Order: sequence, then structure tokens, then C-alpha cells
Amino acid sequence: MNWRKTFAVVRREYVERVRTKSFWVATLLIPILFLGYVAIQIAISKKTGGERQIVVIDMTGKLYAPLVKELADVEAKQKANASGTKGPHWNLVERPAGADLAATKEDLRKQVLAKKINGYLILDPAKLEKDEVEYYSTTVSDFIALNQLQSATGRIWMRQKMAARGLPTDLAKEIETRMDLKPFKVTEKGIAEEKGAGIIAALVLLVLMYSTFFMYGYQVMRGTIEEKSSRIVEIIVASVRPTELMLGKIIGIGLVGLTQYFVWSLVAMNMSLPAIAPLLSSSELGIPHLPVSMLGYFMLFFLLGYFLYASVYTMIAAPFNTDQEAQQLAMIPMILIIGGIAVYPAVMNDPSGGAALFFSLFPFTASLIMFLRTAVSEPPAWQILLSIGIMLATTAALAWFAGRIYRVGILMYGKKPTIPEIIRWARYSPGKAPQPAVKAG
Amino acid sequence: MDNAIALSNVSKAFGKFRAVDDLSLNVPRGAMFGLLGPNGAGKTTTIRMIMNITAPDSGEIRILGQPMDRQMQNRIGYLPEERGLYRKMKVIDHLYFLAAIKEVGREEARQRISGWLDKMELRPWLNKKVDELSKGMQQKIQFIATIVHDPDILILDEPFSGLDPINVALMREYFLEFRGRGKTIIFCTHVLEQAEKLCDEITLMARSKKILSGSMKELKRRYSQDLLRIAMDASLEEVRTLPGVADAKAVDGTFVVGLVPGTDRREFLRRTLDRFRIDAFSQKEPELEEIYIDAVRSAGIEERTIE
Repeated sequence: MNWRKTFAVVRREYVERVRTKSFWVATLLIPILFLGYVAIQIAISKKTGGERQIVVIDMTGKLYAPLVKELADVEAKQKANASGTKGPHWNLVERPAGADLAATKEDLRKQVLAKKINGYLILDPAKLEKDEVEYYSTTVSDFIALNQLQSATGRIWMRQKMAARGLPTDLAKEIETRMDLKPFKVTEKGIAEEKGAGIIAALVLLVLMYSTFFMYGYQVMRGTIEEKSSRIVEIIVASVRPTELMLGKIIGIGLVGLTQYFVWSLVAMNMSLPAIAPLLSSSELGIPHLPVSMLGYFMLFFLLGYFLYASVYTMIAAPFNTDQEAQQLAMIPMILIIGGIAVYPAVMNDPSGGAALFFSLFPFTASLIMFLRTAVSEPPAWQILLSIGIMLATTAALAWFAGRIYRVGILMYGKKPTIPEIIRWARYSPGKAPQPAVKAG
Repeated sequence: MDNAIALSNVSKAFGKFRAVDDLSLNVPRGAMFGLLGPNGAGKTTTIRMIMNITAPDSGEIRILGQPMDRQMQNRIGYLPEERGLYRKMKVIDHLYFLAAIKEVGREEARQRISGWLDKMELRPWLNKKVDELSKGMQQKIQFIATIVHDPDILILDEPFSGLDPINVALMREYFLEFRGRGKTIIFCTHVLEQAEKLCDEITLMARSKKILSGSMKELKRRYSQDLLRIAMDASLEEVRTLPGVADAKAVDGTFVVGLVPGTDRREFLRRTLDRFRIDAFSQKEPELEEIYIDAVRSAGIEERTIE
């Protein structure tokens, strides 16, 4: 290994990429978009609201008035509390069921479609016996509003049932409880109240890691193919060993990734941007404080995963001359990376369970899942070390295999090779590269 | 003998296909050496083995008297047949990069690059991207990259392909100048006329084997014995059937006649004069192509251009 030559390759890969406009656009735009998204989310959650024009068909004849009062109480309570989410203002109108309920419903349906009302609520005793009410609207995805309506009707129905049994209504108020579960995370170092911010931070970093695997793995692939399609590769390998070229490329592009992270963390540290700071600080969704250990694990598992996937992408790129030819095989790492992100909810539910252990040891999902586990729980040290060991061993094996395919593949022009051919290349001893560049002419 | 490059009994197979079969050749120091043959003859494979890009299965390769190693790679300049540049790189950065992978120091590289940029009138293009350059200019950049480390040996694989006549002439000048400084050039081509004008030593390859080698002068002398140019009042058919004639063709109203090797020329002329009138007659210096075809035939190899 000639490090001077390898370094020249690293330098070229790094400088040429960091110099491009697209690198800086992506680097600066992503945090801006992200912050913008967060700010909008917060703004929406604070303002929620607006008005809801609702028609209530109260077939019990007893629930309409309490419901109006209950919703008004809730709104008053929310107004008193400056921070926190706010539901909409409810404008209720009662309407009798009429002789033909179906006809009434049809009429209301038309009103909803004509946007005269937002929706209608049917309090049907038969349904209420089964603890059900029906709500019809064009939008049934505004969870804050629906939640309010649900709990309000629930409460008045409970009071109604108690009154029917002759129990005093103030007793009802007394026994109505909404339990607030305060989670505490038990760690080796002690007990800390978990406010959810740490978990949100871990998920944000997880998505970041996941997308950078894609971005930079893909760049390794493109770079390798470009060297072949532009026919520069033979000029290079007359001076640099294929292994050095491969390694130099992977390291160089990896450094580009680290640079991007570095810029992002600078942005995150200067989060006191005047426009957003007040919004963030007054909200539970505020930019969470990142524990150093989490960032440390993030860097560690990012690097492990990056080298692993970069080897896979090199292997895929080496035999082909165009991006299109490689596209089919590029599905493999893509599915593996997506697999890592797809299993994360299962891991979140039970970070010490069997599935979590399996996916944090399986080399292709290990970087994402082991990082997540270290962020939301405290996996035993032996599991972390084993996971790192498996990833390193897999990367070494893949890099070795990729190197052998690369060595042969980069001098292959002409027709697209088949998979059995590619596997055969890897079996050639270093002195026995197969026929390079079958020329026509 | 002082050889820049010496191959002894080098073979290389790719699966069942023998790309190079028991090849021995010596390139004397300071020579303009032509490695010739049709496409698929094994030239590029031979060069890749010399460059240590692929390793031979058997045989030995010595460069400047030593076995090939990585340090040696830095003393050779190689212009491959399949060549290109990073399209998005600036010309100047590209040249520095190619110098760096030959382990040329920054300052040394700066001086050499600067000299060549002036010589080739490329200075205005210094900060342009490779993309924006014409094909001819890109070839010039590739040539600078080939010699930026001031190599002792230059290996050029089809260096003139894709060049316009002006640039061909320009390149030839650089090659000759390079050799004038005592350096060795290996010139690899299937275009025999180019080699004929430039080379003083050649090796001809066909179907993975060496079929002929020697100095250009000696080869021409050896083959001119059997080649005559005759103006006479006969038809081509009649000339062909004359005893002792191996091959004949009509060229500009005369016949170029190849005699069966070993035929006595005086005897042949006397017998011909008995039957026809001969207006003029001269010994013809063979063209490389004729030597080549003859050598291929006598080696018993069917001539084919595509492998």
C-alpha cells in the first residue's frame, strides 16, 4: 500500500466533491428545510384550531347541552394554559333526527360536501350502549380535534350513565381521572426523567444516518462507474493499485460525509437563529439537547455502516460501464438499508428483545439498529462490541471481495458481464486477471 | 546488451484464451520500438504486463535491468489506448493529480506542467473544465500527463487514434524530441504506415505470438530480395503463371512481383525475356505491410483482424 498515492486519490475525491455547488446547496438546504419544517409544525400545533361547525343529532335528547358545556370548558382550560396544544372552537347546532333518519343524514351529507358545515355527530342510544358515537366529516385526520370530541363525548356519556344509576354528578367529576404517566429511564448512571426529546433526537439522527448511507454509497458507485465510462481508469491504474484507488475513493467520499455532518452540527449549535428560537424554546418539540454519548455512537456506527455499504456499492459498480447497468444490482444495498429503517419501530417497542438483538447484530442493519438501541436503552457492552466486530469482519470480507472484482472489472469494457462471470473474476489469482477490454475492430 | 525492457518467454492466458504466447522481446535503450500487429494480437495485454497492471502467468519481465516493481512504474509513462480524463475537473487540477499519483512533488510538477502548457499553447485553458476542451486538446492533456514525471520509458498505445493530421505531426515531433534526449519509446499500433515512418526496431505480433522482429533496415533488406517491379507487355494472369512467381499485382501500369523465396532473379528475368518484352525493371523496397503479410503467411497463421 503506497499511502502517498492513496492520499492523492483521497484528496482528489474530497476536494472535487466539496468544491461543487451541489454539495453546498445540499448541505445548507437540508438543515434549513428541516428547521422550516419543525417551525411550521410547531406553529400549526400552537394555532390549531380555527372553528368547527358541527350539527349534532342527539337521539337521546339528554346529551346535547352537556356536550356544548363540556367543549366550552375544555376550550377555556386550554386558553388559560399558554403553551401546549389547542383544539378548535366548536360551534354546535342541534337538529332533530326527524321521521326519516336516513333522509336527515343524506341532507347533512350534502351540507358537508357543500362546505356549509364541517361535520355531523350522531348520538344514537343503541350505539352509545356499545360505547360508540358516529362522526361524519370530509376530514377525519385532525387528531387533536377528534381526540377532543371523543373524550368530551366519553365524559358526558359516563356522567349520564352514573346519573341513571342515581349517583351524584360531582362524584363523577371526582373519579374521572386522566393518568399522566411520567417515564423515567433507568441507566447505569442513575435515573433520568425521559421527556421524549432524546428519543426524537435519536430518530432524527437515525434518519440522517440512513439517508447518508444512500447518498454516499451511491456516490461511491457513480464515481467508480464514471472512471470506467470516461476511460480514465487505465491511466490511473498505471500508477495506483486498484486497491489503493478503491480505498482512496471510499475514504475521500466518507470525509465528504463527515464534512457535511460537521457543517450541520455547526448549524445546530447556532440554533439560536432569531426567527425560530422563540418558537423552539417555548415548545416541547424544541431542538433536543444531544447527549455526547449519542453523538459518539452516531459517528462510530455511521463510519462502520458507511464502509460496509461503500464496499457493497464498489462491488456493484466495478463490473459495469453505465449507471443503468448497475441499477438492477443497486437494489440490493437499497433494500438492505431500507430494511434497517423498516424494523426500527419493533426495536423501539422492545429495545432489548430478540428482534432488536438480531437486527443489531445482522451486519447490514447493525449500524442503524445498534445506534438506535444505544440511544433508547443501554444494551450490554458485549452486544455492542459483538455488533462492531461482526460489522468489521463483514466489511473486511466485502472489501476483499470487492477489491478482487474491482481489479478485474475496471479494465473490462464491452458487453455487460453476467453474475456468474463476475463471481468467476473474484476467483482469479492476482496474477490471473481475465482478458481485459475485448476490442472490436 | 543494455535493454530498457526485456521479456523472456512471457505467457498470459484468460481462461482458455491465450492472449500472449511465449513472447520474448528486447527493447534496446534509446530505441523507437514498434510493437505491431492487428487488433487482438496481444499487444495491449503485453503492455499491461509491462506496466504491472496484470501479471504474466509465466516468464520474466525486466525493466531497465530490474524486475518490475512499483517504483519502476514511476519511471514509465503510459498512454493507454482506452484513455480519458475526469470530465468535471479543471485542467490544472487534473494535471496536478496525475503528477501526484506518480509521486512528483508539487513544485517540480508546477514547473514541468507550466513548460508543457506553454509549449502546447494550452495556458488559456488552465482553469477550464476538461469537459469544455476539444478532443484534440484533451489528447494533449493526456500526453502531458504521460510525461509529467519525466519517465525514462514511454509506452504509447495507438497514440494517434482520433487525432487530426496537424496534431499527429505535432505529437510525432514530441516523440522524436523525447527520444533525442536518450529515452526509450514503445510505440504500439495496428496502423503499419505510422510505424514505418517512426520506428527503428519492430516486433510483429499476430494471434498472441511474435512472428517477426528486428531492425527496420535489416527487415527491409531481407525482404527486398524477393520483390521486383517490372513493366512488361503481359497480362496480370500471365505474370502470375510465370515460374518462380509467388504473387503479383498490377500497380500504376507496372507489376509488383513477389518471387518464391530462393528463386534466382537473373534466371527468372532471362526466362521472362524469352516470352515478353520488358520495358523497365527495378528492385522494390518492401513496405512494412508486405513484410507483415509475408511473415504471417510463412508463420502459417491465417490473417485475421478480429479476435
